[in-house]
Amino acid sequence: MALFVALLATRAPAVDKQATSPLLGKPAPDIQGVDLAGQPARVAADRGRFVLVNFFASWCVPCQQEHPQLERFVAMHKAKGDATVFGVIFDDTTANARAFVQRSGGDWPIVADPGGTVALDYGVRGPPESYLIGPDGTVLAKFIGAVTADGLDRILARASA
Amino acid sequence: MRRWLPWMALAVMVAVALVVAAGSGSKGAQSETARAARLDAQIRCPTCKGLSAAESDAEAARAIRAEVAKEVHEGRSDGAILSSIAGRYGSDILLRPSASGFDELVWVLPVAAFVVAIAGLALAFRRWHRSTVGSVTDADRAVVAEARGR
Repeated sequence: MALFVALLATRAPAVDKQATSPLLGKPAPDIQGVDLAGQPARVAADRGRFVLVNFFASWCVPCQQEHPQLERFVAMHKAKGDATVFGVIFDDTTANARAFVQRSGGDWPIVADPGGTVALDYGVRGPPESYLIGPDGTVLAKFIGAVTADGLDRILARASA
Repeated sequence: MRRWLPWMALAVMVAVALVVAAGSGSKGAQSETARAARLDAQIRCPTCKGLSAAESDAEAARAIRAEVAKEVHEGRSDGAILSSIAGRYGSDILLRPSASGFDELVWVLPVAAFVVAIAGLALAFRRWHRSTVGSVTDADRAVVAEARGR
């Protein structure tokens, strides 16, 4: 029993775990707001490239573990401009999210979700949760838990083939 | 068999009444607030364990309550509102299974099991009744005739 507990405690968290969603194959609900830098941000403005809509919170430990992977994913695709990340604050304050990003890095747009209406539109159950939107604006995949840059790239390669 | 026909008819009537009661329980004039509260109680809180959207104070539950209230105010039907929520989270967000598709089995199977159980009991009683009556033998008749002749 002790061995089993030790095994679970030392295991890496499940990553790139895809899940079903009624949104798969359907147009992604639009998200628009003001990002942490005070600039207007909108998911629909990124048509023509892949967008990973990432719901996160500063208090969420898997989100903290996932954040470097999101940075890596954005950096890998920056030159080509074929994919990016769009963050949505889930059940957290903008001040906490801003402090988290200042501490951890990341330059993708992140918007607040007052009232949780965006999370409701996407059917989010808890952070981190991400939705991969294709260049045509349809939802291609849903991820429950942390994602990795390599895992996302494999899915992008399959979707682009 | 004729003796059991009324019982069979009664069983069918009870089954039909159960189905009708299950289907009509949500109808009736209600205020928008009461209707929204009833619908909230049928939706699972997405970020909690074992709580409905009506019971939880989580942000996701509050968002669901606000959406349900908005759609009730817009005059949408109960089914359309529940479908709208299930269309975002999946049908498992509903605490009460829908009465269509695969979920319909949840409602149909208990009624079917009840009808089969009643029919089985009717058959069992019939067999039991026959076995207790038995058949009259010549020896039995002789005993009766002798008794009468005394």
